Amino acid sequence: MSRTLVTLVAAALVGSAAALAGQAQQHPDFTGVWTTYSEPGAARGGGPGRGGGPPLPMTDDAQKKVAAYRALIGTSGDTPGGHCLGTGMPGSMLGSGGYPMEIVQRSEQINITYEAHNEVRRVYLGDRIVPMADRVPGRNGHSSAHWEGDTLVVETTHLVEQVDQRYAHSDQAKIVERYRLSTDSAGTRVLTAEMTLTDPVFYTKPVTDTKKWAFVPNGHLLPYECAEEGWRIHLEELEKKAKESK
Amino acid sequence: MKQLVSLVSALALVVALGATAGAHHSAVQYDFAKSTTITGVVLKFQAINPHMRLTLRVTDEKGTRDLELEGHSTNNMYRAGYRDGLIKVGDKITVTVAPLRDGTEGGYMVAAVTADGTRFGVQSAAERAREREKAEGK
Repeated sequence: MSRTLVTLVAAALVGSAAALAGQAQQHPDFTGVWTTYSEPGAARGGGPGRGGGPPLPMTDDAQKKVAAYRALIGTSGDTPGGHCLGTGMPGSMLGSGGYPMEIVQRSEQINITYEAHNEVRRVYLGDRIVPMADRVPGRNGHSSAHWEGDTLVVETTHLVEQVDQRYAHSDQAKIVERYRLSTDSAGTRVLTAEMTLTDPVFYTKPVTDTKKWAFVPNGHLLPYECAEEGWRIHLEELEKKAKESK
Repeated sequence: MKQLVSLVSALALVVALGATAGAHHSAVQYDFAKSTTITGVVLKFQAINPHMRLTLRVTDEKGTRDLELEGHSTNNMYRAGYRDGLIKVGDKITVTVAPLRDGTEGGYMVAAVTADGTRFGVQSAAERAREREKAEGK
């Protein structure tokens, strides 16, 4: 290979790498703290995801499961959050009751932390995507993503069955979120997430919802410790038993 | 502070409403369309999640008794002006609460005026309605 050819190939490789890097940088950056968005002049809302709303197209079996759950909690108003348990998907991405979230974005991984109950989602892209067989099921499932132009498309699988949130679902559920940035008339950066939940076990057709977030300049999440009280009570019980055994 | 209060407004009530890990009270027992105030001396205060916990010793024409109250999450109260050390044991404070539906004395703390006059908290639906009426000259 002649020196000229080597130089040409090297230059082409460097050019390609630079082009790829440039392409990666062209994706919108969602990094930052976001809170529930309200249209200019509208009252603030807590966001969807925890109850209410129109009836959902549930299968008969799903309706029975949800009814049994609601009968179990009765009029107590008990919620997972009241017992220091996070909402899980899709309730977490739909607002977690109005608490803010923080996104930290790298090209190969995006971390989303919801302040309430410190729920964390790790969204993997490209080579970081975990093989299906190696994914661990959970209330927030396992998420991978790709870009379609300026839209981030996140797919979440490996959920566990949940009847304790607005969008009850089975472990066969798949959630697709499409995130895109815009700016409203007041100049606020808005992150819109369009959610489609597909679950042949719980729903007769796909279920959709939309959540809008407003950027919080220099925002910070607060720590959300929740289990301290239960731990303190446990220690008090241990102390009581220790005294009784003396 | 007023700005902070209005910023938080009814935000995050849904998540805040629930129970503490140790004593599972539910918020459905409170009437958030109403509000009342209770003044007393702090016997115990815990800035914890999912709900703040407060024990007040109240003395009035009915006598002296201790009331156990819960309230919004520490996170929501922080965003509504609460800061570490604002409430201490022995302080005389006034709290705004959503009363219990069954008429039992007590309630769900949504705001407070501390011993030094600092106010923090989330404006209740009843307070917003009163302010609206006042602004409209009713």
